[in-house]
Amino acid sequence: MEFHLINHPLDCPVCDQAGECWLQIYYMKHGLYEPRMTDDKVHKPKAVPLGPHVILDAERCILCSRCVRFCDEVTRTGELGIFGRGDRSEIGLFPGTELANKYSGNVVDICPVGALTDRDFRFQVRVWYLESQKSICPGCARGCNIEVHVNRRRPHHAQGRRVVRLKPRFNDAVNKWWICDEGRYGYGFVDDPSRLTAPLRRVGGKTLDVSWTEMFTLVADGLRRYTADEIGVIASPKMSNEDLFLLERLVDGLGVRAVDYRVPPAQPGDQDDFLIRADRNPNSRGAELIGLGRSDARAILNAARDRRIKCLWVFHHDLLASAWPEGEVLDALLGAETVIFQGTNANATSAHAHLTLPAAAYPEREGTYTNFEGRVQRFRQAFEPLGQALADWESLGCLLQAVQGAGRPSRAEECFRALAAAVPAYAGLSYRSIGDGGQMIATGSP
Amino acid sequence: MPVEFTREQLGEVTRLQRLYPDRGGALLPVLHLAQEVFGYISEDVEKYVGTLFDLGPAHVHEVVTFYTMYFRRPRGRHVLSVCHNLSCHLMGAQEIIAHLTSRLGIELGETTDDGRITLLTVECLCACEMAPMLQVDDRYEGHLTVEKVERLVDRLA
Ligand code: SF4
Ligand code: SF4
Ligand code: FES
Repeated sequence: MEFHLINHPLDCPVCDQAGECWLQIYYMKHGLYEPRMTDDKVHKPKAVPLGPHVILDAERCILCSRCVRFCDEVTRTGELGIFGRGDRSEIGLFPGTELANKYSGNVVDICPVGALTDRDFRFQVRVWYLESQKSICPGCARGCNIEVHVNRRRPHHAQGRRVVRLKPRFNDAVNKWWICDEGRYGYGFVDDPSRLTAPLRRVGGKTLDVSWTEMFTLVADGLRRYTADEIGVIASPKMSNEDLFLLERLVDGLGVRAVDYRVPPAQPGDQDDFLIRADRNPNSRGAELIGLGRSDARAILNAARDRRIKCLWVFHHDLLASAWPEGEVLDALLGAETVIFQGTNANATSAHAHLTLPAAAYPEREGTYTNFEGRVQRFRQAFEPLGQALADWESLGCLLQAVQGAGRPSRAEECFRALAAAVPAYAGLSYRSIGDGGQMIATGSP
Repeated sequence: MPVEFTREQLGEVTRLQRLYPDRGGALLPVLHLAQEVFGYISEDVEKYVGTLFDLGPAHVHEVVTFYTMYFRRPRGRHVLSVCHNLSCHLMGAQEIIAHLTSRLGIELGETTDDGRITLLTVECLCACEMAPMLQVDDRYEGHLTVEKVERLVDRLA
């Protein structure tokens, strides 16, 4: 312990790792609090950005070489090394290179001290003010297990963001100890000013706030006004199994056949043989299994353009940022008499909606996703939804009640129970059996 | 100068790599060969040697910065390594070092402007019996005095 601290700065109060630093923990447990070292400490580079996400304080490094091994053995990119020797050894990059692999943020997690810290998180808020909730990364079809770290106790810190960082949660079958950078830093939309926080109705050029009760009546009336063939629904593979199941019930009850969830992105996602999947949606498999892929989304838009579909209900997608020609999509949005948009954030598509239903983001609610392998995984609520936003299953439950007079589920688990009873792939699964590690769908399912 | 071995030199690399159960073991001798051929181990040399071992440049850089006998900057035609460990120190190494730095007009670790001599200090070279001593290129010189060092420097081309 004393040897470790010979050259280590003893300034935990200004170190971002304090509170989750193993050196600090061991020091507090076993430390000789009065240092006997009288010589000057060896000084090394501080606050050196290694890449877009990671910053190095070489003085705090204890030369455990975990970060080097991570780059050698996990990403096999080999950027980091220990240069020099003895008390002048230091972690670094080959001159002129940077730590920019797709998983670079993980070195921050495995660094036991404050040597490698997260450029996004450092000095935003002290870790002991944070709370944590188990969740699933919605960034791609892998569904890496994560923890959402929430800052509620110091709202004046971190620019008022509630989600301050995401950390990987160990799951041997899915992501081991790791997550990719895109997922790690992809939480920005949750506290973004573009969040939709109230049900909105656009009449002429004016946008009016309406209550949820009015909104449900408006949507239900809208749906009743058209025949089943005049309604088109573009569901989203970002919705949970619970949401999708209620939507399926609703469209099934109405007899709507123009239903799909597949919208190709403008830029196809990259994929590797580690975690990242080309499908950047967490629940395409669920949408497929629950049966939302009845039709073809592009054909639905074409029908709206031709005025055959009069009511277009879009969930979460920004169709104008898809791979389809903008003009084509725009004609469809302008062609439909009623455009309903339901989602977490405003986008170019929602700007064309007549009715806008604000949806809760994944840390604001609970639910399950089915990953590309067929693993059903639970994510939990970390905090309350912003404004009046509701989880999709909640708003869809109200609509089911308004349209079909069905009973309204009061918990996500209830929706899941109904799903497990109705869709063979989910037979036998329950929130309890899924637990923290997830559970595979029934064998023999597609 | 392009950083690339000739065919014969590559043959030598292969021969060295075969001497070890893991060919990575040949990294040190190959780096010495590279130093002989290219004069010193530049970053480009590190990258090049890395390709011969399927190693990233960072790992070659680790090895090169760990050992002191790899030169990472161009060195002079001759290298004077003056021992300043215990025996030599007691026998007057400091005086020899002071004389050499002022005579050559360079600090330790530097090379004279004409590229003739690089001056270094080293730890015990296991020749304490002839302390104070230094190494000129591959040769040991012991029982040094200021006069002897003077003559030695004069003789170096
Ligand atoms: S790395 Fe740990 S021990 Fe070192 S200063 Fe930071 S908190 Fe303290
Ligand atoms: S993981 Fe942290 S402490 Fe360990 S070698 Fe890397 S920078 Fe140093
Ligand atoms: S101390 Fe100089 S050779 Fe041993």
